[in-house]
Amino acid sequence: MQRSQLKYTFQKRLGFITGLITILIFIIGLRFFYLQIFQYDFYKLKASNNSIRTIPIEPSRGIIFDRNGKVIADNRLIYNLELERGRTHNLDEIIQKLAPIIKVSSSDKELYQEILEANPFTDSIPVKTDLALDEVAAFSAKRFLFDEIQLKIRQKRYYHFNDITAHLVGHINRINKTDIEELQKNDLYKRYYASRHIGKTGIEKSYERLIHGFPGYKQIEVNAKNNVIQLLKTVPATDGDNINLTIDIELQKLAHESFGDKRGALVAIDVNNGEILTYVSQPGFDPNLFIDGINSKNWAALNNSKTKPMLDRVIHGLYPPGSTLKPFVGLSALENNIRKPPFTIDDPGYFNIGNKRFNDWKKTGHGTVGIIEAIKVSCDTFFYGLGLDLGVTQMNKDLSQYFFGRKTGIDMMNEKAGLLADAKWKKNKLNQSWFKGETAITAIGQGFTQVTPLQLAYATALIANPNLNQKPHLLLYSEKKELFNNEQTPPKVSLDNLKLIQEGMLQVTQEGGTAAFLGKGISYSMAAKTGTAQVFSLQGQEYDEESLPEHLKDHALFIAYAPAENPRVAVAVIVEHGGHGGSTAGPIAKKFFDNYMKQISY
Amino acid sequence: MNNLLMLFKKTDHYLLGLIITIITLGLFTLASSDQSGTRLVLSQLINIIIGMIFMVWIVLTDPKKIFFYAPFLYLFSILLLLGVLFFGYESHGAQRWLNFGFFKFQPSETLKLTVPLILAWLYSNNDKNINIWQHLKAFILITIPFYLVFSQPDLGTALMISFCGLIIIFTAGLSAKFITISTIIFFAASPFLWLSLQPYQQKRVLTLFDPFGDALGSGYQTIQSMIALGSGGLIGKGWGNATQTYLDFLPEASTDFIFAVFSEEFGFLGVVGVLIIYLLIFYRCMFMVSKMQDTFSRLLSIGITMSIFFGLLVNLGMISGMLPIVGVPMPLFSYGGTSMVVSLISIGIIMTLYNNKTLIAN
Repeated sequence: MQRSQLKYTFQKRLGFITGLITILIFIIGLRFFYLQIFQYDFYKLKASNNSIRTIPIEPSRGIIFDRNGKVIADNRLIYNLELERGRTHNLDEIIQKLAPIIKVSSSDKELYQEILEANPFTDSIPVKTDLALDEVAAFSAKRFLFDEIQLKIRQKRYYHFNDITAHLVGHINRINKTDIEELQKNDLYKRYYASRHIGKTGIEKSYERLIHGFPGYKQIEVNAKNNVIQLLKTVPATDGDNINLTIDIELQKLAHESFGDKRGALVAIDVNNGEILTYVSQPGFDPNLFIDGINSKNWAALNNSKTKPMLDRVIHGLYPPGSTLKPFVGLSALENNIRKPPFTIDDPGYFNIGNKRFNDWKKTGHGTVGIIEAIKVSCDTFFYGLGLDLGVTQMNKDLSQYFFGRKTGIDMMNEKAGLLADAKWKKNKLNQSWFKGETAITAIGQGFTQVTPLQLAYATALIANPNLNQKPHLLLYSEKKELFNNEQTPPKVSLDNLKLIQEGMLQVTQEGGTAAFLGKGISYSMAAKTGTAQVFSLQGQEYDEESLPEHLKDHALFIAYAPAENPRVAVAVIVEHGGHGGSTAGPIAKKFFDNYMKQISY
Repeated sequence: MNNLLMLFKKTDHYLLGLIITIITLGLFTLASSDQSGTRLVLSQLINIIIGMIFMVWIVLTDPKKIFFYAPFLYLFSILLLLGVLFFGYESHGAQRWLNFGFFKFQPSETLKLTVPLILAWLYSNNDKNINIWQHLKAFILITIPFYLVFSQPDLGTALMISFCGLIIIFTAGLSAKFITISTIIFFAASPFLWLSLQPYQQKRVLTLFDPFGDALGSGYQTIQSMIALGSGGLIGKGWGNATQTYLDFLPEASTDFIFAVFSEEFGFLGVVGVLIIYLLIFYRCMFMVSKMQDTFSRLLSIGITMSIFFGLLVNLGMISGMLPIVGVPMPLFSYGGTSMVVSLISIGIIMTLYNNKTLIAN
């Protein structure tokens, strides 16, 4: 073949190919025209779920166990009567028709309306939830009378321990508009298209991500009359993870009982690994009331109660630490090389700053007092002077090492950080200058300082075990063995200094200590510190526990760990308006230790 | 700076503009179909950048080097294919991937380049006297990769690569008489070919004629894709409103079926726009080919243009229910690293061949 001839063929065939490309793309275009324009109505109908419908499958919420595998929260099967969304129903007529066999109350009706408006995703809405078995039987027998009503089996969260774990485990509630916005913001909404509920407080909220699971769906083909022709596809839901908490529910129960009708909190932490064994906030409430939306009467009762049952006192309750702060202030002093033995003071029962006199709780004074003695007898005079020498800035800096004034990092939502006040804070907040006397009373845990019971317990654990490098935490493990990093650097401290503080705390429960009566007749040794936090400034009057009205009485505080020589568990107890710390909070802590020791001796 | 300017002058502006438009549209569609947030979009952006770097590198390469390396590249891609057969990584019942740890790689995609390369090399070695023996050699060079890809099994890619090779043989000057005869033979042999197909491939071909007959199984993807297209109508549902993509109605929404998402969102008008851009890309390529002087440049450019074209054709045919589901991505539009990089390298090759059109001829 000649080169010129080849070129001719080439250009001709190139033209042919270009033509082929044009024609084939044109055919593609025609095909799209046919589908998108000509058959638009047909496919639009298909797309709008008239022929293929998606039925969401709700994942089962993970079960919450305690550390020994006892069920705290799980799901019960319940029977609901439900109406399909998308069809108009005459609710009153239906209720009337149901009346002879099943009574639908006005709160059921309210709930129906609420879900209808607030939950756009739910495909059927309950008229009556949690039917009794005889109601199920009665309805089934007369089912043919009610073709618009469907009898559905649903899962309902059940909290086995009611108020005992109310704050700890928290509760779920129906997904509302705020939740939807929040989920959309975090790009999680797709996980909830089958769900009606979401964790609102406590563990149910903080581990929502694990417990909730992933929805599935069924695709069915239906004809124009809505009859199912065939099942196309089932993607099963992935159920939420079951989780084990670090809580020992038996200890939790006993601790709860030991409060009686007193208000307050108890936190117990394993000093070796930060696991929280007990998490009590008193009074509690029944979380089961919240699951399908609490009715307004119950809500008002809980919300308006003066005892604030909804407050999670463990992480949201803020209290002045009183004398329970002294071991930490004392440690700060030692670390800064002041008040080191053999330093002692001679306590006359008061301390003068300028012309102002600060009294010790014991008017006659404690005599010769060193650091160990000062903790043992809770000597205020010793700490007034110590505070002034240390200065509030250094004191706060060291206290902050023990997580006062900042979050401990517990795996719960919105933990409060508490407060360590100083001159700058006072200037900003109250626009007043800081007085020397305020440094003195800050050193004995009065003044502006505020702590949560959790902070007290964790700080105590850090005294008991200076190597504790785990945050306080509530999740023992999850079913899928997801790893959670709880590591946290413990404060740097000289062991010699720490031993002095530990010795002081041990002597608190020995002869002559402020909680000596607790140390009598126990088989283990307990290191502790009592505390009393003023709620009300008496301004010169005598404090008389008997004559004061209940809400003005001091808060009682108590921190402790045991066994003193080989610490295993640290506890903080607060009894609101309980008076002196040793006498009301102390016995609750002692009872906890008794139970704990009994258990580990098995 | 001067180098950059040089580079910009060396790229073909029309082609570059058209390609960037298509890639951008693909990215936007990916963003709306991406159920995982922005993960896929970011990873596709990386694919594009890698592809662009390769493209620039090729544009700056002397075509003589390409000519020199052609047989080695071909052999290398055959070796990779053998590697897939022995060490490949299986996904959806087909072994198509090689896993290199940090990235996975689909060797059959590289054939879209190396088959045109080897054929152009073969013909240009003896372009004064192209005869039936060369056509036969070319045919064998196509058959080997066809067989290897076919046994992965990936019928779609295998057919595309061989069509692409046949087009090169056609433009190289195979006689019209021969073409007619072999077409007749092909149709006569087709029953045997049918029997050699895997059952799942047979099923896919059959469903093509009646997708609703097997709505649960292999017709499912076709139906969902057609519903997505059809419900888009004239102007579409708007960006991010592809309801068929939501809830996984549409499978592989980011890869093979991405244009179904686009069609649902932007309707027929959007589709026409995209088809016109692709058509302009092919016209521009054909124009560039027509200016080339030597056999190697022409056949290579035709081959790789056609492999992009067949990719488009098979993909659009597939999502609009005209062709069976064979798992072919939409070139320059679908999510996927290998396909994007290979397409951009192809474009780079055409550009450098065009830049050097007089150089080689002399």
